[in-house]
Amino acid sequence: MQQAVDIPLKISQSAALLEVVHSAIGLVKSPVAITAMQVASRIWCLWGIVVPCAATVIPQGLLTAGQQAALGLPGWANINFITLMTAWACSEVIRYGFFALKEAFGTPPYFATWLRYTAFMVLYPLGVSSELTMAWRALPDIKARGLFSSTLPNSWNWGFDYHLVCVLVMATYIPGLPQLYGYMLTQRKKVLGGGAAKPKAKAA
Amino acid sequence: MTLISLDLQSRSGKTLAKLDVDSEDTVGQLKKKFHAVNKKYYPARQRMTLPAKEGQKSGEVLKDSAKLSEYGLSSGSVVLFKDLGTQIDYSTVFFFEYFGPLVIYPLFFFLPQIFYPGQKALPLDQRPLVQKIAVAYWMFHYAKRIFETYFVHTFGHATMPIKNLFKNCSYYYGFAAFVAYFVNHPAYTAPDETLSLVCFALAMVCQFSNFRCHTILSNLRAPGETAYKIPSGFLFNYITCANYTAEIWGWILFTIGTHTIAAGLFTAAGAFQMAEWARGKHKRLQKLFDGKDGRQKYPKRWVMFPPLL
Repeated sequence: MQQAVDIPLKISQSAALLEVVHSAIGLVKSPVAITAMQVASRIWCLWGIVVPCAATVIPQGLLTAGQQAALGLPGWANINFITLMTAWACSEVIRYGFFALKEAFGTPPYFATWLRYTAFMVLYPLGVSSELTMAWRALPDIKARGLFSSTLPNSWNWGFDYHLVCVLVMATYIPGLPQLYGYMLTQRKKVLGGGAAKPKAKAA
Repeated sequence: MTLISLDLQSRSGKTLAKLDVDSEDTVGQLKKKFHAVNKKYYPARQRMTLPAKEGQKSGEVLKDSAKLSEYGLSSGSVVLFKDLGTQIDYSTVFFFEYFGPLVIYPLFFFLPQIFYPGQKALPLDQRPLVQKIAVAYWMFHYAKRIFETYFVHTFGHATMPIKNLFKNCSYYYGFAAFVAYFVNHPAYTAPDETLSLVCFALAMVCQFSNFRCHTILSNLRAPGETAYKIPSGFLFNYITCANYTAEIWGWILFTIGTHTIAAGLFTAAGAFQMAEWARGKHKRLQKLFDGKDGRQKYPKRWVMFPPLL
């Protein structure tokens, strides 16, 4: 499975950086800080955890490979990697599907809008828990390999403990998730809260 | 001298107060009147605007120094109120922003046993010369900033929202600890001593240049004047925000003099923010001094950092 998703995953998630650029230059209305937080966490999880530590995090997540097999779950990857792919893929398909329909038809069909402003309620927690599990699995590997880290002494006096940085990033999820979730809830109320009557009237 | 009764409303249209004032009174006096009615909203916290006109997103903001008659306000006119939140003096924010780094950085230099536990640190007299120069320079820089806050700078606005205090202090205190940690580390590797001495000597030149720029800026306006002026003299003849130029070069020289990447990141972060401010100021001055209707034309100048900006 890893081979199948490898390249498309890397390209599509990295392309998400453009979202931050578009928001920063005002091409889209989204707030830069929120967009940056979202994209940053995905880029970190993909390029900072999954790719460098693939050998450690793909076979096992919360459950080891053996435990997973014993429970009769699919064996091509650990369940958390599968949920991670599911959460990311579903989010992107729904979001971009919504944008595409909006561009093509002016007003997207109500179902697309509803999905875009409702699916996050499940996908956000699913994605966040998957990202954190992958990171948690990777931590011992990062520490043992001194991944991306540099130690003193060196001529430019730079030390970087990537293990510590990962722990700090994971900690930022604590205030981060409520912020992102809260933002989507407010957006949901704004867009869907107007009542089902409006969009139906527009579509007619 | 006409007595008028103004209808002060919230954004949602609810009348908060009916204020009886003279049309020749200033907006500032109007705000004092409202403060008397509602003790929570001291004048610095009040934003008053005219209702938005056709096509406007929001109405014109009423300036404290302007007379009410200048805005065409008469009896029954509506003025909209917005609460700006708890406000804090600019000078108070600056003081706390700069006092933190002044104290935090030397802690790393003087107390390695606390900040680098378990690592053998050299006794103070055996420390590399550059570490000693760096701590002295850093402390001088922030002491200078505090001095300027109280004796040099004249502020365009008197207050800012209080959440800026926490945001700004996090930035300054965080970077102070970040830079101090690496420069004062027991495993610090000093660059060539001559290079360091040259860099810090030049950095001090930058400090004095920056100070001179600040005095020029503060002398631009006489007390009470609020109009924008074109800065001139010294480096201002060539660069709009020459004070930022000197500041950035000072930190670049600190970085090279200490050979510390963390200092480089601090320099970059500061430069990035200053660039944003400089661009805004440069644009504002160009727009104001367009050369039409007898106004001066803003001369061709660098924004902040020749040859890049």
